[in-house]
Amino acid sequence: MRIRIRRKRQKIQKLFLFTSTVYLCFLLFAAFGSSYLAPHSPTIQDLNHRLLPPLTEGRILGTDDLGRDIWSRIVYGTRPLLIIGTISVGIALAGGLLMGILAGAMGGIVDSFIMLLMDGILSFPTVLLAITVVSVLGYGLGQVTVALGIVFIPVFARLVRAETKSRLTEGYVESSRALGTSFPMILLRHVLPNMMPDIIAQSTVTFALVVVIEASLSFLGLGTQPPEPSWGLMLKESRNFLYQAPWMAIFPGVALAATVFSFNYLGDYLSEQLNPIR
Amino acid sequence: MKHMMKPIKLITTLGLLLVLIPSLSFSRGAREEKPVRMALSGNPDTLDPQKTAGTLTFQVTKSIYDTLIEPDPKGNLVPALAEGWDFQEGGKRILFRLRRGVTFHDGTAFTSKDVAATLKRMQDKNTGSPHGAEFSLIERIETPDPNTVVLHLSSPLAPLLATLASGWSAILPAHLIEAGHDFGSRPVGTGPFKFKSWVRDNQILLEKNTSYWMRGKPKVPGVEFRIITERSIQVQGLLSGQLDVIDMYDAIDLPILEKNPAVKVEKVLTSLVMVMAMNTSRPPLSDLRVRQAINHAIRKEEVLEVAYGGGIPVGTFMDASDPYYVDFTSLYPYDPEKARALLQEAGVASDRTLEMILPQNYEPHVRAGQIYQEMLQKVGLTVKIRLVDWSTWISDVYRKANYDLTVIGHTGKLDPDSRLANYGTDKTYVRWVHPEAASLITKAKSIMNPAERKALYSRVLEIMAREVPFVFVGTSYRYVGTRKDIEGFRIQPKLDAYDFRDVEVR
Repeated sequence: MRIRIRRKRQKIQKLFLFTSTVYLCFLLFAAFGSSYLAPHSPTIQDLNHRLLPPLTEGRILGTDDLGRDIWSRIVYGTRPLLIIGTISVGIALAGGLLMGILAGAMGGIVDSFIMLLMDGILSFPTVLLAITVVSVLGYGLGQVTVALGIVFIPVFARLVRAETKSRLTEGYVESSRALGTSFPMILLRHVLPNMMPDIIAQSTVTFALVVVIEASLSFLGLGTQPPEPSWGLMLKESRNFLYQAPWMAIFPGVALAATVFSFNYLGDYLSEQLNPIR
Repeated sequence: MKHMMKPIKLITTLGLLLVLIPSLSFSRGAREEKPVRMALSGNPDTLDPQKTAGTLTFQVTKSIYDTLIEPDPKGNLVPALAEGWDFQEGGKRILFRLRRGVTFHDGTAFTSKDVAATLKRMQDKNTGSPHGAEFSLIERIETPDPNTVVLHLSSPLAPLLATLASGWSAILPAHLIEAGHDFGSRPVGTGPFKFKSWVRDNQILLEKNTSYWMRGKPKVPGVEFRIITERSIQVQGLLSGQLDVIDMYDAIDLPILEKNPAVKVEKVLTSLVMVMAMNTSRPPLSDLRVRQAINHAIRKEEVLEVAYGGGIPVGTFMDASDPYYVDFTSLYPYDPEKARALLQEAGVASDRTLEMILPQNYEPHVRAGQIYQEMLQKVGLTVKIRLVDWSTWISDVYRKANYDLTVIGHTGKLDPDSRLANYGTDKTYVRWVHPEAASLITKAKSIMNPAERKALYSRVLEIMAREVPFVFVGTSYRYVGTRKDIEGFRIQPKLDAYDFRDVEVR
């Protein structure tokens, strides 16, 4: 019995993993090859074909209140999504690595100071902090990207600091140091490679969070500016047409949920697989 | 166990009967005892009519207070607390004869003292009324007897009657003004309904004033304003019978409402002028040809239909239903070829980008903005949209004129002066300077002869129609949804205040 359940579970896990990976590959393809997948322009309006339901007149997912093709808008919406995700996670990772290694390797006052700063940032709710940063920097895609990068620095900084501290006390590092290896070399050769699994897993999960918060900011009108396609903005625009044209809300919503699920699932899986200790 | 079933069944049956019988036999009678429930699209900032310019406040206070004069459904000024008035000395003296036998909600009688105290409070700088300036020409207020008020003006002021008919001129009781009463949260007036309670952001309850001066009115026992900001929730409330009246500015949900037999929808022309404003102090918009080109590029009917749920196109800065309105729509018809030619003539570079700032809390304006963007794109003007929140729009766009293009609706006023004041000077947000128009507007203010006034305003409206500091798009409709059994609900023209005095439940 137990074995059968476990096998069934493994099967479901594999299926999820497969679907998530395929979906994410599809997103990547959609972002690079938007023009191949989308039959219409994401921004050109067609006021004679407003609020068409799905599968009518060649519109797979219907049209919105200004007659724009929803499928095309979703496809083109992957581009800003992946760009913001990648760059924000990049900023967060770079900042986190720098802060984390500095704090972990130097210890003492530097450590206390950096971690105090990080805890300070962490004590704000993420979305609120992102809104604050955006209102200081101004509205728009670039600003949102930077804001989200800054917001997630502490997450990486804490992870990197903890890893650095524990690695530096281990036997092989001690012996390597005894053999005369320079400190930067130790970091590069022993410390960094060892924390890669955790960083990869954390990046994937953070990516999912960035996607959600970007959508929230666009929903609030702070992110992507109309008429550029963004899933969050599409959800915002759909709000007034919920009874008339539910497809305006459903499709971008499903796409967003699936993206977040896939990234989360992949993140969990990677952290399980890449880390032999767990 | 079997013994237990019977009493349970019996109790259930009895219970059901107890619920059903009264609801069947008394359903008609029971309904009429309830107040009329209306959705209010936001929380009023105060219920003191002298301390705000917010429409939400006046929509509620119309039922609590009265004014000396009021507009009838056609917009003509008719007697209310004043039974009649005379202009003397060429308009420098106005004598009001007050209605007798009117009492405030606290039982005190309404006299000329109340009128004098109300107007003095309005003029007082400490009151801080945004409409205070409209009363600045009143030099002296005389009360020869309890039923007569004489206003002495420093110079004739034609818009004064309209001001006195507006919600902010509501009459407050003198003894409570002296006592420093907080009218903002506990309003006391002579109106058809008494204030009962106000739970902020939730509801405002009013109950019938049984001694109201209009005989036989109001006909319903009370009014319940429910504060519901989301329009789709208002629509669901009306459909499910939890609301009796809703007031909508767009037609998106019209098909669902029209399908429901328990609901009726009335289409009413608003007094709004929907515009795309242009900052005429900034090149290339300072060039008349560019503004003309932009006007030629816009298909007004389409914008009204898609963004605002239908309306009547206008060609100048006055709403289509106003008595002062003149039709100039033929001046700049839709003509993309001409638009392109004018832009070329003005030497606007093809890589020139204009920034359009949109108030993101007004969904219809955001929709309209995107339509304009594409229409302008087609004649070769690139527009970049930026969404801002309402307070930013007020401070950056409306006060500081820090923008190229924006989209907004201008609400109506009873007197044309309120709409046109300051235009032609650099004090308005379009920064359109035209000394002739400005002097005509100032002159028209002091002319009492209606025909002469109309001639002056027609000239002003023509100048604005030709000089196009805006794209004047049109006057939109509003849709009043009511349950089928509700009758007599009115919205005051121009003032947009809700009038429940004739509301009946059938």
